[in-house]
Parts: sequence; structure tokens; C-alpha cells
Amino acid sequence: MKALSSAERAGSPLRERARGKGDLLFLFSVLALAAYGTLCVYSASYYNAETLYGDGFFFFRKQLFGFAVGAVCMIAVSFLDYRKLKKSGLPALIVSLVLLALVFVPGLGKSNYGATRWIGFGSFTVQPSEIAKYGYVLFAAGYCAKNPARMRTFRGILPLLGDGLAVCLLIMLEPNMSVTMCVGALMIGMIFLGGASKKSLAAVCVPVLFAVPALIAAEPYRLDRLSAFLNPWASPQEEGYQLIQSLYALGNGNWFGTGLFRSRQKYRFLPFSESDFILSVIGEETGFFGVLALFLVIGFVVWRGFRIAGRCEDLYGYLLVAGITLSFAVQSALNALVVSGSIPPTGLPLPLISAGNTSLIVTMTGMGLVYGVSRHNERKKFIR
Amino acid sequence: MSVLRKRLFAVFLAITFLFCLFIGRFFYIQVVWEDELHSLALDQWTREIPVVAERGRIFDRNGELLAGNATAYSVYARANAVSDADRTARFLSAALGVSYDEIYAKLTDRTKSEITIVRGAEKSLVQKIEGANLNGVYYARDNERVYPYGNLACQTIGFTSFDKTGTTGVEGYYEKYLAGKNGEILFETDLVGVDLEDSTVRYIPATAGMDVRLTLDYRIQAIAEDAMARVMESSLAKAAQCIVLDPSNGEILAMVNLPSYDLNEIPRDDLSTLNALTRNSIVCDIYEPGSTFKIITAAADLEEWLRGNGAAFSDRYVFSSARTRTVDGTTIKCWSDHANGKHSNQTLAEALNNSCNPCFVDIALALGTETFYSYLKAFRFGSATGIDFAGESVGMLLPESTVRDCDLARIGFGQTIAVSPLQLACAVAAAVNGGNYYAPRLLSEVADSDGAVVLRTQPILAGKTVSEEASRLLSEMLEGVVRDGSGKKAYIEGYRVAGKTGTAQKYENGQIAQGKYVSSFVGYFPADAPRYLCLVVVDEPQGSYYGSTVAAPCAGEIFNGMIGLKKIQPFI
Repeated sequence: MKALSSAERAGSPLRERARGKGDLLFLFSVLALAAYGTLCVYSASYYNAETLYGDGFFFFRKQLFGFAVGAVCMIAVSFLDYRKLKKSGLPALIVSLVLLALVFVPGLGKSNYGATRWIGFGSFTVQPSEIAKYGYVLFAAGYCAKNPARMRTFRGILPLLGDGLAVCLLIMLEPNMSVTMCVGALMIGMIFLGGASKKSLAAVCVPVLFAVPALIAAEPYRLDRLSAFLNPWASPQEEGYQLIQSLYALGNGNWFGTGLFRSRQKYRFLPFSESDFILSVIGEETGFFGVLALFLVIGFVVWRGFRIAGRCEDLYGYLLVAGITLSFAVQSALNALVVSGSIPPTGLPLPLISAGNTSLIVTMTGMGLVYGVSRHNERKKFIR
Repeated sequence: MSVLRKRLFAVFLAITFLFCLFIGRFFYIQVVWEDELHSLALDQWTREIPVVAERGRIFDRNGELLAGNATAYSVYARANAVSDADRTARFLSAALGVSYDEIYAKLTDRTKSEITIVRGAEKSLVQKIEGANLNGVYYARDNERVYPYGNLACQTIGFTSFDKTGTTGVEGYYEKYLAGKNGEILFETDLVGVDLEDSTVRYIPATAGMDVRLTLDYRIQAIAEDAMARVMESSLAKAAQCIVLDPSNGEILAMVNLPSYDLNEIPRDDLSTLNALTRNSIVCDIYEPGSTFKIITAAADLEEWLRGNGAAFSDRYVFSSARTRTVDGTTIKCWSDHANGKHSNQTLAEALNNSCNPCFVDIALALGTETFYSYLKAFRFGSATGIDFAGESVGMLLPESTVRDCDLARIGFGQTIAVSPLQLACAVAAAVNGGNYYAPRLLSEVADSDGAVVLRTQPILAGKTVSEEASRLLSEMLEGVVRDGSGKKAYIEGYRVAGKTGTAQKYENGQIAQGKYVSSFVGYFPADAPRYLCLVVVDEPQGSYYGSTVAAPCAGEIFNGMIGLKKIQPFI
């Protein structure tokens, strides 16, 4: 803490718009991932789009638009001095909660596959849970940075817990278990990174460990899903179908894959092949090495993100960057675990890669914030 | 390093660990589990059109076709691959004469992946459809089975089911040779069966079935069928069977079961009629043989006498002339009244000529249960002959441990025992051919579709029955039966025909059925080296019912027919 507080003091001269190039490797890696994702969306969705919409480029065009908007947002946001966001935490949280609540307003909320996860204005739809993750990070970073000392008491972290649980609850009602898990992990991560005492951490984590089995037992369909993921061939046409098709795709990939654009499973066998299960298609077309390479790049982005956080000179920037990076890492990992049948299948996109504009734009904007922090924390040789 | 940076590092480590975990899982799925997953997935990536293997043909011993295939085609459509249902339906309806609506409905039913438009179409029609170049319409060859001789040997040849699997007769028994292996045309499709663009079509060719050559001679079969049809007509019998075989090796030359049916028009709709008509009674049904069975009793006596068994009667022994024998307190009578010197002072040869029951009672009782049963077993009564045909009956023979003297006495002249016609024919053959029991055979050769013989059957010597000397003596006596005795109507000058008649009353529900008889004759020639043996069984003839008057003339006709056919010269 002390090391950081001195950095915070040193932060004020930086306000005079001193900016460097920042972590360009981070920037390019993120852009490359998003561009690669757009290509994969094209490959995975072409046949489906052709048969369903009569336009093979339907998803590709949307994704390309999302990529363009995301890239502009990312660059634009990196010019912004992130410290100006300190006070935006509470409004961001409130906006997030309102958006999440709007999902349940008839006429606004849009249902798909038995879950209400989107709000729509005409043809334009937004997935509030994607926004809420970052809303929570903004809030938590601002809350901690305002008074770091209170993080060491249990009472001090209660607002973080309360608001985190509120977000979780609203997402759970959609329902969307995986995003709930993601936000839950993010909440614990933020408290941990924010400097909560070991006792407080134990007080938070132990109930969570008990809550998960209880939540599973509460809804029978979750139990079905659970058994489906353990033995998908028990119900190959129902619960097990999605996972079986994903495994077929991955199996077909073998070491080196069938070659780009040459997936067999994307011919309507694998549902959500362009969105939540795009990793199956990537695994099929590029093989195990392709998956390994992709996650090496994703891992690299995570590492650079944490590196930026670690080098950040103020607590706010540190928490903001760590939170955004953690959210990206957790979501990528959860998606890979779902696709490989390691946890029950749930709807969760692979950030930067899966089709879906809200996710792409929001993630890229978040990554823009991280890059911005790296720019504003350049070793200021000229100041020294 | 501050506490917070340590925590940051810890989180990074945790994430790295998580990443390693699922990368390991991906490795397992994509590299270790890959093989099994791939073979499972292959199944859903393709749709198949069957390529039906050509079924093997069935020939008689001389290469005459008994069962073959007509070239016919099935036309299929895969609804999801049809690009213009309206045009396709219009074309097919005009070409096939089926209503447009019906075809259009089939073509637009996307719930089914493959649909059959028509079966049994001719080649010209298929060529026309092929010329029209319709997307999603395919054709494949069918096996339409054709039997050139219709009714001939229908129960023996048998037939195939609707899907061309052999079910009865030779068609069923030798399915493994005849069937062949179907092939497939595999199309790569999407989930609902739409062909993928520039997908590869894989063709797995069918392997044709093998041809089967039988021991049957269709000309002898035809002669026997004609003779049996005449006897059915003249005697108004309920049913009639005839088997012709070669006693020197067990090859079956003809098997007739009347009434019969046309193999090209099988009465599939009426199940009870179908079952009755398709049954090969010669193999599968049993009857009480009556006097024809005396051949076996005589064979046992001669063999025992030659072996020096003091209880057995010599060929010179003169039997008691009394009409009755009393056994276990029951009286057994001869069918003849023995009046006016009939059936008096008979030797074994004369007893056979007259078919005198009391003499055979004496033999059975003299040999005793143990000895007599050892011959019954050697002649395979109560067990299977080993014919290559499904559903063989083993007959009914009282267990040795429960048989009483009065039973044994009756078995001596062919009552209280039931046999299949095949069992009796084979046993008689084994008694007169020098004492060799050959298992009866229908299969002669199996050849692959190129004509190369892959299997040729050999005579199967199942066991010895009596010595050559006993066999020779017996055969001489049976020649006398045809020359001088009850078998006169089967006599053919110069051909040394031998045989024995039989007339048995039928039992219904354990009671003698009044006026219902089974009239039979078993005969063969030449007596010294038998080559053709024929058993005729006529079930419930009306009017005259003796084996000597109903069955023997019929066998004579068959022998005459074979002599003409084979241009056999007289032996004397």
C-alpha cells in the first residue's frame, strides 16, 4: 500500500496530458484477436447464415461493424485520462443495474433459447450483462481507491459484496449461470486484489463453496445439465446434444485441424457455432495446435494486462486494469471449459472472438481503458 | 514487492493454472479421444443410398436355373436435396404413372431423409429419369427374385422376404452364400440432409452373392411332380409326398410336396395357407410308416442271424401260420384273415411278400428291446438325418426304458412309431446299399459370382447299419416283393426294381380315424447296386387305399420316367 500511495502522489504532475505510446504489444494482440475472431465468425457462420437468412455474410458483416466500432472506441478511450473515471463508479453501477432490470420489462426484454438476456430497440439489441461486468469493475476500483484503508475491515468490503450480489442476482434471474459465475469470480477477485484481510476473504469464500451445490440442487434443469455434461451420450438428442457436437468438432480437429474454412460440424450440426461455441469450430479447423496458439495469445494479453496493472502508479488504475483483465481471463477460461465439456454447458461468449456486438465492443472498449492506463503510466523520463 | 502486487501475481498464477487445465482437456479430446469421436461423427455427416448386392442364383445339378434375378430398379429421392420439387414431381408422375400430388407430398416432406418413389422399375424408365437430370433423385438396383419353374420343388427352394432375405427352404438355409453384401453410395450432407457443395460422393460397391448348385435334378423332379399330381387327382388324396434320392451317396434328386404353390406368386396375405403350403412335409412332418418299416425289422433279423445270434431267424425259418399273437395280454392280428391257406408256412421272404404282421412281431420279440433298439438307433430313428434343411423332425420313438413288449411287437411292423418320410427313405437306403448310412444332402456346389467353385460337398458317411451280406439278402427279398408280392405294380421288366408297400391307419387324437389311411411305397433299382430310391406317400386316398394299389403304381411311373430320361438300358 505504501508503495502505491507514493505513486499516487507522483500521479498529479501527469495530469498535464503526458502520454507515451503505451504497451503496443498489448494493443496489437487485442486487435489481432478481434480480427481473427471476425474471420472465424465468417467461417463458422457462412453456411448457417446462407440457409437461414439467404445471406452468407449476415453475421460476418455485423461482426465487422462491431470490430470497427470496437477499434474506434478502444483507441478513443485510450486518450482519456482514466483517473477522470474515478467518480463514475457509482453511476456506472446504477446504469448497469437499471439495464439489467430493463431485461424484465415486457416489450423491452428479448428472449432467446428460453432465457431473457437482451434488451432491444428495434433491430438493435444489447446484452446488459456484458456491460454490467465492467460497470462493477469501475465501481469497485473507485470504491477502493477512495479510501484504501477500509478494505481491511469486513464492514468496509460490504458495499462491494452487496452490489456484486445484486448484479449476480439479476443475471441469475435471466437466467444466465455462467455470466453469474463470471461476475461472482470477478467480485471475489476485486476484493482479493483490493487488499481485503484473510479473515474477510474466508468469510466470503466459504459460503460461496456451499452456495454452488445448493443452487444446482434448487433447479432441476441444472441437475439435468450437470448429468448431461458427465455423460452426454445418455441423452444425445436433448441435453447432451450440444456437447456431443462440440466434442465431434474438436475430435475432428486432431493435431493440426481440417484447415481454415473446412469445418464439417459448422454445417448446422453444431448449434451456436458462430457465438458461444466458436471455439469448437476453431478447434476443428486449426486443431489442437490452433487452440494452443489462440490461448497463448489470450494468455499473453492477460499477462500484459496484469503487467500494466502491476506497473500502474495509483491504486485506482491498478484495480481498474486488473479487474478488466481478470474479467477477460475468467470469461475466456469459462468458455473453454464449457466447450471442452469440463463444466456444464452454459451460454457464454469467448471474448473478442465470438459473434456478438455488445460483447465485442464492450470488451474492446475495456481493453482500450487498459491500454490507456499503460499510456498514462509510461516511465516519465522527462519528468524525472 | 507490495502485498497487492503479490496478490496480483497470485491471481495470475491461478489463471495460468486454469488455462493449463483446460488445455490438457483439449489435448485429451483432440489427440487421445479423437479416433473414437471421429468414427461416431462420421455417421452423422453422411446419408446413404443402398446399393443392393445381386443375390446368388440357385441351379439344379445339371445347371438348370431354379431361382434367378430380374433386373429391376428402385427410385429414391432425398427431399432435402431436391431443388425443384414441382418440376421433379411433374416429371416423375408422368414417367411412373403415379399421381402428382402423391409424389409432390413425398418430395416436400422434409422429416424423412430418404424416400422410396417406386420399386421394381425397369431399366428403360431409370435411364429416362437419369436423362432428365433431376437433383435429389437416385436409383439403385433391386433384387426381384424370379423362379422359372414356378411350382416346381417350391417347398425345397423356398423364397425370400420382402426385403430379399431368404426365409424358407434353400433360400433361407443357404442365405449366407446367396445373400452377398450390400454396398452404399454416401453423400456428404448438412444436419438436415442437404448435399454439401463440392462434396465428395463415396461409392462402396456391393459384393454379389454366390451361386448355389443343388443335388436336385429338375427333370426327375418334374417327372415325380407329374406322377404325384396324377395320383392326387385319381385318389382325391389330401396330400402326397415323394422323395427320390441316390442310395449310393445320399444326394437328393427330387422332393415333391403336394399341394404346392407358385414361387412367383406367393400367397403372403393368407398366413395359415402360406404356412401349410410352404411346409416341406418330407423333412418336417411325421407319419406312422406301417409295413414299409418291415424292411428295417427284416434287416435287423438277417444281420443278427448272420452274426450267429441264436434268437434271430434264418432266411429258411418257417414262421407260425397263426393269424394272431398275444403279447402282454393284448392280441395282435394280421391285416389278412389267413383263411384258405393264405399266409401259411412263410419264410422271411414270403412274409415280406405277403406283408404278414405276426412274423415281424416274432422277430421284434425274439431280438428283444436292447438289440432291436440298437438297430433303430443305427438307422437313426429318433434322431436327425443331418439334411441341410431347416426344421427337420426327428420323429417319435418310445424311449428304450419305457417300451413294453406289446409296443416292441408293434414297432416290428411299423406301428407305435412315427417317422418323417426323409428318415424312412434314408434308413431304407442304408439297409439295401450295403449297409452305409449316408446323410441326405441338397447342396452340391457353391460358386462365386465369377463361376469359380468355392465349395463342393462330398458324401457324408454317418455310420454303418448292417453288413453287406445282410444287405444283399434283404435286397433279394425286396426284389421278390416287387416281382411276386404286394409291390407288383411297380415292377418293370429287366430293371430289377425292389421295394415294399405300406398301408397305415391314421390316428386322430389318439384314436384310430375310421377310413383315413396313409398309403405308401418305398422302392429302388437296380436291386444289386441301388442308384435310385423313391418313397411315395399318399395321405388319405379315397376309395382304394392300399400301398400296393395307390402308391406302388405311382412309384412305377416315376421309375419308368427316369429310365426314359436317363436312357438306362435293362440290366438283364
